[in-house]
Amino acid sequence: MKAKAIKIGWSVVYFAAGMLLLLGMWDMVSRLTKGEIPSPIATWGTFKEVMTNPFQNDPDNKGIGIKLLSSLARVGIGFGLGSLIAIPLGFVLGSSRIAMNIINPIVQILRPVSPLAWFPLGLAIFQDSPKASIFMIFICSLWPTLINTSFGVSNIPQDHKNVGKAFGFSVWKYITKIMLPYSLPHIFTGLRLSIGVAWMVIVAGEMLSGGIGLGYFVWEEGFNGGSVGKILVAILIIGTVGLLLDRLFTGLQKRFTYVV
Amino acid sequence: MSTTTTKIATQDIADSILDPVLTPSTAISINNVTVSFKTPKGAYTAVKEISLTVQKGEIVSLIGHSGCGKSTLMGTISGMVKPSQGEVIANGKRVAGPGPDRGIVFQNYSLLPWLSVYRNIYEAVDSALKDLSKAEKKELVERNLKTVHLWDHKDKLPGQLSGGMKQRVAIARAFAINPTILLLDEPFGALDALTKSNMHVELLKLWNLDNREKTIVMVTHDIEEAIFLSDRVVVMNDGPAATIKEIVSVPLARPRNKKDIVHDPVYMNTHDKLLNLLIDKFSIDDIKE
Repeated sequence: MKAKAIKIGWSVVYFAAGMLLLLGMWDMVSRLTKGEIPSPIATWGTFKEVMTNPFQNDPDNKGIGIKLLSSLARVGIGFGLGSLIAIPLGFVLGSSRIAMNIINPIVQILRPVSPLAWFPLGLAIFQDSPKASIFMIFICSLWPTLINTSFGVSNIPQDHKNVGKAFGFSVWKYITKIMLPYSLPHIFTGLRLSIGVAWMVIVAGEMLSGGIGLGYFVWEEGFNGGSVGKILVAILIIGTVGLLLDRLFTGLQKRFTYVV
Repeated sequence: MSTTTTKIATQDIADSILDPVLTPSTAISINNVTVSFKTPKGAYTAVKEISLTVQKGEIVSLIGHSGCGKSTLMGTISGMVKPSQGEVIANGKRVAGPGPDRGIVFQNYSLLPWLSVYRNIYEAVDSALKDLSKAEKKELVERNLKTVHLWDHKDKLPGQLSGGMKQRVAIARAFAINPTILLLDEPFGALDALTKSNMHVELLKLWNLDNREKTIVMVTHDIEEAIFLSDRVVVMNDGPAATIKEIVSVPLARPRNKKDIVHDPVYMNTHDKLLNLLIDKFSIDDIKE
């Protein structure tokens, strides 16, 4: 118990040291550019300004909180739909060599396509830019989950399969009591990678689609509005939220990993 | 257990030994079974043209050097391994795959690590005995867990148990589906000597509770274990294409007492006989392992 407290204490110290290093470099860059890049302190001022009334919801003047939530919502929908397809498909690919052989080449061709290339296609299909960005998130959050799920399922140990065989498990029982629990840590690895990609892609998508969201905030209010401070604030918010999402899925992954 | 059941059981066995034709008391009949596997280097024959009959209520051990195909032979009874030639008849039916009439205890426990001890047994019972009501299934799980003294640990995950406890769960699981045939694949191989000894007694206790009606086939490489538990010991030749070298009867009365039995001349004779059959293997190959 005490050892754990010390461990946590040290990790706080390390984290603080890292942050200080970042702030130091940032401050140096700010000095070198003669304030073109605002200093941490100046950015803190911009942050406080941005954070006043974060949930203000006027049609012309939406708060940063509203923008963040709208970005998160689109990521959630695209990522959710992608996972809903990727996990069952991963089960099929993992348990059938034939299905794997047929689907794998398709995956290998589509996977390396830049998420941004899907955006115009989504626009052509849906004629609606928010839907197109959801489509983009959906496509690019498919692959990591699909690949990791099928990897997990194809690696179920013979011992576990034998249990199902020996006691005559139904297909449903096999899926819920052996396949799913065994591949769960792999699924969460896939989901974690997917949510990371989705969160990265949403900003780019919103820059293209315009309207609302953090990406639009970076482009419109930051760049077009001539406020580098706002760009920095947005970067910090995007980074922090991305870190929290990653932590959430790491936690889930740990929760569902079993000692054999 | 009462002495009358002992008498009846031995009488049954004696009768059936006299009568080599398939009788209603035959539990397992292995007829001319060959098992070959395809490997990158061509076909590999694990066991060749093996025939063996096991009577109802009999305990038979398969013993031999590692890799001699004893687990493969056992697999043909459980239905996990398909014979390339010949057939296995269990409970009067040709074995086409695993079935609830044959309970299996695997070499490495094979518990599902994400299910509690209780759920591990419950899911097996739920699958194998579909016709029972939920209450009956629960009752069955509870009774079997109590028999192996693990009721207090029912909510633990297998990872929190010792090797001996895991094996007791696996045995309770196999007994819970109430199979007429119990197949044990090196069940105590990974346990320390003391735990192993206790498990032998536990196994016989469970067998006695069922009036010694269950037929048990066990794979082992432990001579003492084979003698203590079995009515007959099947000694196998080395693979590939392993065959039965000799079948040794163990004419020791039951119930057997571990402490007394070792001084029994019958035990010592049987032990010597088995050791002689296996001696070259037990001295050279074990060193290599």
